Amino acid sequence: METICAALEPQFPCREAAIRTLGELIGDSREAYPSAIYLFGHSGTGKTALTRAFLRECCRQQAVRIALLNATECYTTKIMLENMLDSLAPRRATEETFRADNMLEFVEQLRRWHDQGAKFQSFLIAVDNAERLRDMDANVLPVLLRLQQQTSLNLCVILLSQLPFEKFYNKTGLTEVISLHFAQYNKAETQRILSSYFFQVRAQLLKQFSKDAQRLAICEAALTEDFYSNYLNLFLSVFYKACRDVPELQLTARKCFSIYLEPVLDGTVESTDVSRLWRHIAGPLRSALTQIYMRIDKPPEEQEASAAIEDQSVRKLAQSLELPYYAKYLLIAAFLASHNSANQDKRLFVKHHGKQRKRMQTVNARAKVAEKMSTTLGPKSFSIDRLLAIFYAILEEKVGLTCNLLSQISTLVHLKLLSFVSGEQNIMDGSARLQCTVGLEFVLYIGKVVGFNVRQYLCDFM
Amino acid sequence: MDPTISVSKGCFVYKNGATRADKKASGKRKRATGGTSSLLGKEVIGQPFYDAYTHTWTQMNEHIQRLQQQSYARTLEQLVEFVVGQRQIEEKEEEEEEEINEILPTAALLTGINQPDHLSHFETFTQRLHAQKAARVCVLQSRDCPTLKAAIEAMVFSLIEGEQHQEDAEEEEEDRDRKRLRRSHCTIRQLKSWYSNNFPAGERKKSQQLVVILPDFECFSGHVLQDLILTLSAHCDTLPFVLVLGVATAMSAVHSTLPYHVSSKIRLRVFQTQSAPTGLNELLDKVLLSPLYAFHLSGKAFKFLTHIFLYYDFSIHGFIQGFKYCLMEHYFAGNAYALCTDYSKALNRIKLLTHEDMETIRRLPSFRPYVEQINDCKRIIAVLTDDDYLKKKLPQLLRDCLLHFLLFRSTLEFFTELVGDLPSCPLGKLLRELYVNCLNKPIVASPEYKECWQMLSFLSKEEFVAKVQRSLARTEHFLAEEIAPLELGEACMSVLRPQMQSIRQLLDDVVMGTLEQMPAMATDESRPAASLTQVASRQELKAQLLQRTQADKQHQQQPTTEFARSVHKTLEHIETLLVRGHLRALQDAPPLHELYVFSDISTVRRNIIGAPRAALHTALNNPHFYMQCKCCELREQTQLMGSLPDLSVVYKLHLECGRMINLFDWLQAFRSVLHANEEPVGEVAQEQIDPQIQARFTRAVAELQFLGYIKMSKRKTDHATRLTW
Repeated sequence: METICAALEPQFPCREAAIRTLGELIGDSREAYPSAIYLFGHSGTGKTALTRAFLRECCRQQAVRIALLNATECYTTKIMLENMLDSLAPRRATEETFRADNMLEFVEQLRRWHDQGAKFQSFLIAVDNAERLRDMDANVLPVLLRLQQQTSLNLCVILLSQLPFEKFYNKTGLTEVISLHFAQYNKAETQRILSSYFFQVRAQLLKQFSKDAQRLAICEAALTEDFYSNYLNLFLSVFYKACRDVPELQLTARKCFSIYLEPVLDGTVESTDVSRLWRHIAGPLRSALTQIYMRIDKPPEEQEASAAIEDQSVRKLAQSLELPYYAKYLLIAAFLASHNSANQDKRLFVKHHGKQRKRMQTVNARAKVAEKMSTTLGPKSFSIDRLLAIFYAILEEKVGLTCNLLSQISTLVHLKLLSFVSGEQNIMDGSARLQCTVGLEFVLYIGKVVGFNVRQYLCDFM
Repeated sequence: MDPTISVSKGCFVYKNGATRADKKASGKRKRATGGTSSLLGKEVIGQPFYDAYTHTWTQMNEHIQRLQQQSYARTLEQLVEFVVGQRQIEEKEEEEEEEINEILPTAALLTGINQPDHLSHFETFTQRLHAQKAARVCVLQSRDCPTLKAAIEAMVFSLIEGEQHQEDAEEEEEDRDRKRLRRSHCTIRQLKSWYSNNFPAGERKKSQQLVVILPDFECFSGHVLQDLILTLSAHCDTLPFVLVLGVATAMSAVHSTLPYHVSSKIRLRVFQTQSAPTGLNELLDKVLLSPLYAFHLSGKAFKFLTHIFLYYDFSIHGFIQGFKYCLMEHYFAGNAYALCTDYSKALNRIKLLTHEDMETIRRLPSFRPYVEQINDCKRIIAVLTDDDYLKKKLPQLLRDCLLHFLLFRSTLEFFTELVGDLPSCPLGKLLRELYVNCLNKPIVASPEYKECWQMLSFLSKEEFVAKVQRSLARTEHFLAEEIAPLELGEACMSVLRPQMQSIRQLLDDVVMGTLEQMPAMATDESRPAASLTQVASRQELKAQLLQRTQADKQHQQQPTTEFARSVHKTLEHIETLLVRGHLRALQDAPPLHELYVFSDISTVRRNIIGAPRAALHTALNNPHFYMQCKCCELREQTQLMGSLPDLSVVYKLHLECGRMINLFDWLQAFRSVLHANEEPVGEVAQEQIDPQIQARFTRAVAELQFLGYIKMSKRKTDHATRLTW
């Protein structure tokens, strides 16, 4: 146990307590394991990485047989069980493949091993994304939690999830497990973890500049641990509020560090002048903040070009999206149908709709407050007939109701600009209802392109 | 109603025993019958017009293919490079001992809307990768992947089986012996063992990427996609997956579908393909408007096809098919149209023409003006009756025609450069728009043209000279590049070159021209100043002022400076020589141009554009239109007759109703229509409804419901709801 902990602790700073607890629970294969351990905590807190490393250490040092699997891939129970058996199988028997169609066969296979003399062998099974187990067959989770009891092997199941264990309770009840919470790292801890990569970063940078002697010299001189921790301090001041996922932070930190280092390498700013460096890095950091998690990989020659694609503004989206002329009108018609009530249609789209009587009641009802604006309330559903009627009303020229036109509707649905609300199966009898999923700004832009004033036809703006 | 047995049409399947088991046998059969693979019989294929058609089509099709390959090439190159490049990146990472594990390299290809076309892009992409032996490719369509299970099974199956298909060609026999893979066995584990068997870890250099293409990203359901990406990324370290997403809308679609914990598992590289309208413009400019081909579309047909493209679907494939249809329609009109080909070939074909073909030619609308302009009575008779005489005349006529089109095309080039970038582009700025405008009507008379000309005369000296010179250069370039290698190229150039030379000379005058006022114009300035003083009333003053402004306008139209005069002169010259001379509308084109220009747009429209609702309405409203029976001829559309099919009667009756239809009233009306000719037998008959009629009625209503016109109401008993308006 001591050796395992010793091997892991440098790899996982700030997780000493968790490692120690795990070590006490399953660190020694000669002692009896607990039947199940439940690890939970937010993403990026090191659950999976730590468990994986721990199990590998166990396997290496104590010849424990381990199985690491991810519940996402196990779309059937069979696949999960067979994967488990495969990785738990004794080394020599790799030729034969194990079959386990259901839990019973799985447990029996394990019992067979027990009879064959695996009595003194220990087993560890780790299941990542364990919350998915709830959706699988009803017996999977209870059996996994009691596997030790049923197979009488020295076996422990480790479940990893982001949810607390309370979320797993069901009607039949589950046996209690040992829960272990991985708390989120606080700022100081995050900084400590990130700075633990300092030597790696340094080595990489030095290698990168190995051809450029002048830069290499500056780099060697400037890259001190202090410099790096200063940088991380600045970096976290921007990012820590938005993101606590350590791998993500590490990746972004590494990306931005080269920008941070740039003025130092050029010799324009002293490496100790933190405030000037901050002024230099603040902008890039903020723009990096908008792209966190997106992982857009830029080819070196197209850095500027792809920046335009990443721009998330609606206008850009509308510009980049090319639609046929009638599809644009259909989209506008869909938007109008979604955001006007059907009883207003006559008033909006028919030329001689008669005079409207004004009564105090209606005037009061009309007095719109921002919450009642249908554009802010979200889209309502409409039928295809109404969509086509509005389409023909807003289009000046006459077009036939052809296949090409009708297929545009389904194209828009495919592109997720419209979506079916109900009746997707019975489009034929006209009861299918659609909804427009794009926003006002987008439609206003499209309207501008085709020369159509959308606001004029919205009840909210009348 | 005519005694037909059935009005329903059907499609029946006859098993011909061509199952998988005797695949080979059927293959042999195919080879044996390969000679007459065409749907058409020998009598059609042997005809000269078919020959001309196939020749033209294959030529054009090849041209189109070539062009498309070129335009896709750049993006595809990048994409292939990206996929192949992943291997090196992996190796590098291994060297550096970095642990950025479980990150899936992903390429997002922004394809633009219209997904059916994109499949062909991905096919060529696949072919390239296979050619380089760099990757195993699997195309996953969203319809194959309703669940993660189906997705993974389809993926593994096609990755493993894909290879076997390649080998199929060589060793068909062996393949059959091999145990076929069962769908349920296709798991990631299976893939892993297959991969480690085929590509042992030692020889990594030879290993192939596993490319998974999702051509229609938007159609995938979110959770399947997320799980798929998570699964792929989890196995990234052992299996070199590369994901390619075909995104039809924009990158934001990717980001909104994938939550953070998924998107952090991929490394996304964005590729942009050429947008569909640019692709079409290129296609039009390079192929359809190329002087290489004798076949032309009339302005209206051309506009019709581009209209479908731009207004409806953005589908280049659809456009090409529509064009092909026009081509077929054109040649199918008869053997006379076989002349629509190169000049020398046409000369050979003239000999083959029969009397009937000659008659077709004589019946062409543009033949009449030709006959009328002949002064000699004898020659007129000869042209109209003597086939041999006309055959002798034909080469000259054809030559004129072909030459006209060449000149038209070259001048169009000049004209496009001249007016294409004027502010607000009154005539359009693209070659295709101008082509349509010029062909449709005499352009000189149109107000847009006048506006253009006015704008041209307002240009400053440098701009004007530069513009005309650019136009000349472009035409010159076009002549040298495209026209020169053609048969009639020489003739065309000999016409155009001197004209361009004369324009150049006039342009020199413009360059020399000064901005000084001409003295001759200054004389009549003094006249109006005096009259302003003696106004009696306001109205008079207004009238006078109006008069004066008009006078001023007229005055201004007279070019006052030497420069303006020479500009005016140049423009006039261009107009008379080029625009009036060569850019003639179709009705002024030389005789027999119908042989080269397809303009029968109504047929094409009827056949290309499906209008199911209109067709159904016609069929039900006026069955005679389709059945051509004698009994159902209607004097007017709304007429009701007992001899119409029941369904039709019921349909017409339902058109008269409101939203809800009372079934009993409907039945009564139906009965009275059927018995319209018979005398009312009496009250008793009114009460009792013949069960046969009721049965017919029920059946017709059921059919109408099946067609989707009505729905039985749930709220009101014995009522049906109309669904169409």
